[in-house]
Amino acid sequence: MKKFILYTSLLGVITLGSCTKLDENVYNSIIATNFYNNRTEVMAAVLRPFTHASAWVSFMDNNNYWRLNELTADQVAWPQKGRHGYDGAQWIRLHNHEWTVTDNTIKGPWDLIWQGIGFCNNTIQDLEKVDFVKIGMTADEKTSIIAETKVLRAWHYLKLIDIYGNIPIVTTVGTPLNPPTKTRKEVFDFIEKEIKDNVELLKPLSANLVGRVSKAAGYAMLSELYLNAEVWTGTPRWDDCIAASDKIIGGQVGGLNGNADLDPDIYAPFGVANDKSKENLFQIAYDFKAADWRLGFEGLFWHYNQKQINGTDRNGNNAVVVVPSAFDAYKDTDLRKQKWFLIGPQYKYGSTTDPVLGTEEYNNKPLVFVKEIRRNSEGETGEGGMTRGEENSGARFNKYQVGLPTDASYWANDFVLYRITEAYYNKAEALMRKNGNVATQEVVDLINKCIVRRFSAADYAVNRYTIATLTPDEFLAERGREFVFEGKRREDMVRFGKFTTNTWWDHKPTTATKALFPIPSSQIAINPGIKQNPGY
Amino acid sequence: MKINLLKISGLSAAIILLNGPAFSMNSAREGADGFLKTNKLWQQVQSQNVITGTVVDETNQPVPGVGVVNSNSGKGTVTDANGKFSIVANATDVLRFSYVGYQSQSITVGTQQQISIKLKVATDTKLNEVVVVGYGTQKRGEITSAVSTVKSEDFNQGGSRSPLDLIQGKVAGLSITRTGGNNPNSSAAVQLRGIVSITGSATPLIVIDGIPGGNLDLLQQDDIESFDVLKDGSAAAIYGTRANAGVILITTKKGKGGDPTYDYNTYFSRDYVAKKPDFLTAEEFIARSPSNNLGANTDMYDLLLNKENITQYHNFAATGGTPKSNYRASLFYNDLQGISKENGRKNYGARLNLNQKGLKDRLSMQTNLAANFNNANLLGGSDGDFEQSVQRNPTAPVYNPDGSFTQTTAFNNYNPLARITQELNRRDQQTFSGDTKLTLEVIDGLKISAFGALIRDTYNDRSYRDRASYSSTQTYQGTGYASKANRQDKTYTFESTIDYNKVFNNDHSISAVVGYSYQYFTREDFNLNNSGFITDAFEDWNIGAGNAITNVTLPRPGIGSFKEDNTLISLLGRVNYAYQGKYLLSVSARREGSSRFGANNKWGTFPAASVGWVITKESFMEQFKWVNNLKIRAGYGVTGNQGIPNYQSLITLSTGGPYLQDGKWVQTYGPSRNPNPDLRWEKKKEFNVGLEFGFLNNRLGGSIDYYTRKTTDLLLSYNAQVPAFVNSTIYTNVGSISNKGLEIAINAIPVQTKDFQWSTDVLFSTNKNNLSSLSNDVFKATFLEYGGLPSPGNLGNTIRAVEGQPLGNFYGRRFAGIDASGKWQFYKKDGSITNSAGINNEDLTVIGNGIPKYYASMSNTFKYKNLDLTIFFRGKFGYDILNVQDMFFGNIAWLPNNVLRSAIEKNAALKDSPQFSDYYLESGNFVKLDNITLGYNFKLKTSYIRNLRLYASGRNIATFTNYSGLDPELQDTGLTVGIDNRGFYPRTKTFTLGLQVGF
Repeated sequence: MKKFILYTSLLGVITLGSCTKLDENVYNSIIATNFYNNRTEVMAAVLRPFTHASAWVSFMDNNNYWRLNELTADQVAWPQKGRHGYDGAQWIRLHNHEWTVTDNTIKGPWDLIWQGIGFCNNTIQDLEKVDFVKIGMTADEKTSIIAETKVLRAWHYLKLIDIYGNIPIVTTVGTPLNPPTKTRKEVFDFIEKEIKDNVELLKPLSANLVGRVSKAAGYAMLSELYLNAEVWTGTPRWDDCIAASDKIIGGQVGGLNGNADLDPDIYAPFGVANDKSKENLFQIAYDFKAADWRLGFEGLFWHYNQKQINGTDRNGNNAVVVVPSAFDAYKDTDLRKQKWFLIGPQYKYGSTTDPVLGTEEYNNKPLVFVKEIRRNSEGETGEGGMTRGEENSGARFNKYQVGLPTDASYWANDFVLYRITEAYYNKAEALMRKNGNVATQEVVDLINKCIVRRFSAADYAVNRYTIATLTPDEFLAERGREFVFEGKRREDMVRFGKFTTNTWWDHKPTTATKALFPIPSSQIAINPGIKQNPGY
Repeated sequence: MKINLLKISGLSAAIILLNGPAFSMNSAREGADGFLKTNKLWQQVQSQNVITGTVVDETNQPVPGVGVVNSNSGKGTVTDANGKFSIVANATDVLRFSYVGYQSQSITVGTQQQISIKLKVATDTKLNEVVVVGYGTQKRGEITSAVSTVKSEDFNQGGSRSPLDLIQGKVAGLSITRTGGNNPNSSAAVQLRGIVSITGSATPLIVIDGIPGGNLDLLQQDDIESFDVLKDGSAAAIYGTRANAGVILITTKKGKGGDPTYDYNTYFSRDYVAKKPDFLTAEEFIARSPSNNLGANTDMYDLLLNKENITQYHNFAATGGTPKSNYRASLFYNDLQGISKENGRKNYGARLNLNQKGLKDRLSMQTNLAANFNNANLLGGSDGDFEQSVQRNPTAPVYNPDGSFTQTTAFNNYNPLARITQELNRRDQQTFSGDTKLTLEVIDGLKISAFGALIRDTYNDRSYRDRASYSSTQTYQGTGYASKANRQDKTYTFESTIDYNKVFNNDHSISAVVGYSYQYFTREDFNLNNSGFITDAFEDWNIGAGNAITNVTLPRPGIGSFKEDNTLISLLGRVNYAYQGKYLLSVSARREGSSRFGANNKWGTFPAASVGWVITKESFMEQFKWVNNLKIRAGYGVTGNQGIPNYQSLITLSTGGPYLQDGKWVQTYGPSRNPNPDLRWEKKKEFNVGLEFGFLNNRLGGSIDYYTRKTTDLLLSYNAQVPAFVNSTIYTNVGSISNKGLEIAINAIPVQTKDFQWSTDVLFSTNKNNLSSLSNDVFKATFLEYGGLPSPGNLGNTIRAVEGQPLGNFYGRRFAGIDASGKWQFYKKDGSITNSAGINNEDLTVIGNGIPKYYASMSNTFKYKNLDLTIFFRGKFGYDILNVQDMFFGNIAWLPNNVLRSAIEKNAALKDSPQFSDYYLESGNFVKLDNITLGYNFKLKTSYIRNLRLYASGRNIATFTNYSGLDPELQDTGLTVGIDNRGFYPRTKTFTLGLQVGF
């Protein structure tokens, strides 16, 4: 009897203990295998790389492509301003071309852009397995969506080839584990093939394709690719650049507001309604009021008390300002100098007499932005420098204006990636290079057609270019004036051979290998297939 | 009655007297009628005689100070200098003789008028102490691994903010640091034997009355019987995947049979600022920054203090019943007030324990119910408020002429008094725990048990910011801001065990346990916030009235919800074997599965073995009479760590922000992490060897432990190959951390006379760690950085962990001087001197370390008659502190904010913005006079009062250090260590008056 009780009890204990299930129940996210059940879900995945691009290509607060292409070049800088802005000297190193393989400024763009490619690869891989008809979509839609994603992926590679040069080519998720470095020529060929194979499958740009990859975006990418072909592969492709640019200039790619064309309004391509500017070809779309999603650049450009100046509800971190020599590169009559920058005494929004006060060197004193970056409060004279800034140093960014919080369109600005003016400049540059770096009348006409918007009629008459005045140096300077703040400056300077040889403000020439950034050490350490760029 | 005899004073009689009735189990003999009982006692007294006698030791020397108590009357006395005593007793009374280091003896008086007692040395007083080891208990003498026990009589006295404060400095190798000072709403940072994990759980598993993961909020200090700390791997391995950081077993007080008794414990305490930051007065400020003179003279720091703070604590407990059916119930209320205004916590609740034996003593049931209701004011006491109070322009008035608060204009300034006046932030929390254990003794020695427990912890948070508040005017257009948040955590536990205990042939003692354990945890969160209120009248009680719901010019209202769960399942077993109590062996294993791990690695096995040799039980030791106990033990155990976030192994899609889809803004989705189907637990292997000793009638005892432990499969978000992974990191098992250390615990009774006893406990520990590896064939992390310096300046991280180096290293520039113009100068790698801009990454090096190398504490207790005095010192040694307050506040460049005096004295030569270098590193060595308690035990003639103790206590009374900042005791656990941040909670001295009464 005792044994019976014993064994029954033991059995009982073991029976009670028979539950060995270890399922994970997911409540607030989605397991990938349960997705893609309808058009909305499919598009939610297709559009993920676009919202991600906001992080790596725009003014958003990340170590990203924009910072590498602007803070290393001759127009803007992030100087130390008293006790602010030193930030481990990383911005100073960018300005001095002293970045290192461990810097987050180098690692950030790499990780972010490849993550965007990962999203594209993931979408393409997953959607190829989805039966579109079963979920109420058509085979044509599938072709079009996959074509768009492939061109979008090629654009990511276009930005990678610009800053890192020699990189792997990967079109699948997770494999291979250690993808090897390909030459810049191979990467170039891959980008060219991907865009050319798919560009005609894309739809022409139209009002309902705001923020998407259309024919307009595809040809703008090709124009940029071919313009830089000589730098990236050693072989110029000027005619291909001209052909791609002509597709855009010639009205064959659609547009946001009728066919794409130059917008006469100096603010419209960057303003709160820039999703309707006929100037724009490709942009990252935002709408603060409709979607609680905005191009958050106040941290990068605005002063600590900026909202008093522009009547908004945000202040900034007083970070990036205009290099004095870049501000001086504009003539005073240039409308771009008058409109795209903040300089001088600042008054509270709506007032012309009530000054905005400073908070640091000018605490409780009127805030006056000055073009110099130096310790004026300590009586410093001269050129100043990267560690010599004050809270009011440098002309300020004012190209994108966001309106008032009470406006329905408040902060609805899209971030412009390509606009038609760039096609004009690209074509003009390609023609000039073909002509032995000497302008032709066609070159002059293309540029004049753009800058006529940038002066009053009287001032244009004295500032219009001639074959004699539009030298290569002047062309680069003019390109800078037009595309200031747009994340393109370093690429242009490299193409003109000036990036590592020029002196500007607090910057001295460096070595030719600085034209490419290093592969971040985090990848060199784990991927034996990847090769470091020369000079690092 | 559990009395650790080593702790009994020379006046042991007093203690015995106080505790006497508690062991009076003969309740059946007592009449229920109080009148009759009194009458009977009276009659007994009438027939009592005075008994006299002598107490001698084994060498026939008289022993003074021996406690003699009449168990029936409860009266007691002690022997005099000649070992003589006299006591009133009748023939049926039992006299009990007790003395530290000797076995207690009881004698029935009978007809004797003269009694001679010969004391026998007690070799087993402490060795018979019951130690809780997880899924069972063992006698101290049979323990073969590193387990420390702290009983209630050794707790830190004088009030505690959290139960773990009670054992701060009482367990060698266990670091308990109150990084938030005495803030009632902060908890202590706890770490055992160094850092065992980087991203996983690094604090010990708390087990309360057998419930793994028990909630400390449910414990009041007077409800706790003991803490048992399982320190080494061989002890902790029975807890499997949660044991890497050690295990703390907490046992609450239980019901006992016997006369019903009551205990009431209370104290009142007040905190005083220990050291005020030395910032400039208004006059001194004006002299340095005349343009920022705003005309007033304000000490904002002082205005934030709640100088009238009073903390009170009440605990009322009742126990009673029969040996077979008994209970303990306690009710508590406490009101904890911090040194800051708007900073407090009120708790009330109850704990109930029921025990019953039935079915011919074969079936026993034990039930515990505990509940705590907590109302916390979370508004004040924030680090940021005190940061503002130091740096605030002292000439700025508090109020504007119109009565509104004055806001200063410099970068990141706000008026902290305005914040705590114009905002509210409260928590209403309920915590419940219930458990029941049924044990059936199937045959003699074989028991089966089933144990079930539920813990439910919920809170409602509410906050409101007035329309006029700074936050509201800056961000919400002056329309106020309200938020609410709820959380509900539930833990279900079921465990079944089979125990077997048997002694064969008197020589072979075996005890074994096997069991099954299941635990399921869920968390549910909900929160929302809104703005756009036209009145402050609602606060957060009409959150829908805020028109940010429709007014798109206001920031969008927020709403969120969340749920997660996880499951732990295990099978466990342990066998203890002892041969003649001389050779000891313990073997255990736990096989455990966690839902958190990858599909390929759900289950792991965690074995352990330990052995012990009680040398004093060998015959050859008999000649060494002065050696009472000598034991060598060694153990090896494998444990795990599943303390990581849920779902890390799965591919899940998460939101990526809205984008235009056919003209509408629709959420996007993409993979949120790189999946890792191989994800598994961190594994720790630990070897421990220990020596326990007791000499000179156990007046000198202690233990020495040496351990070496290595955590492998260290979980970290390692850099992933991008391409081809989507995300730049993957959470995976790669690196390893090693720790080795030495722990020494000594207890001694240096002086013992009839009326006076001095006992002392000394603890010492040292630990050395090394980040052995951060790489494997596939993944590699180059280095890890911590301790980022704040804005303005964002000077970067200050602590760097590198493969092959110790953790906690400060990594930065070497200070070389300040040049004539007041600018920084630093050493370059080659030894040359340069300015700030001339420093490159290769010039940076290890400049210090923030983890203390040595910990020590010493507790001295002096007892004279009924008076006792405890003096407790605690110290940490061999580490550096980064004085961030000096770096920023101590720099004249911090103007127009206020600065510390060091800016115009020690650092006066500096005319440059802050830079991180070893200039700001200081030695952190300190000794604290951490606790002084003076107590008096009243001897009362009345039979109504069983015991009465009054005490006064002071905590954190003095700090001996060369550190120039406020307090050198900073975060010393985890990876971000030794940084004295700009924001802080004032450290305080606490003075307490307490009363303990039993009746």
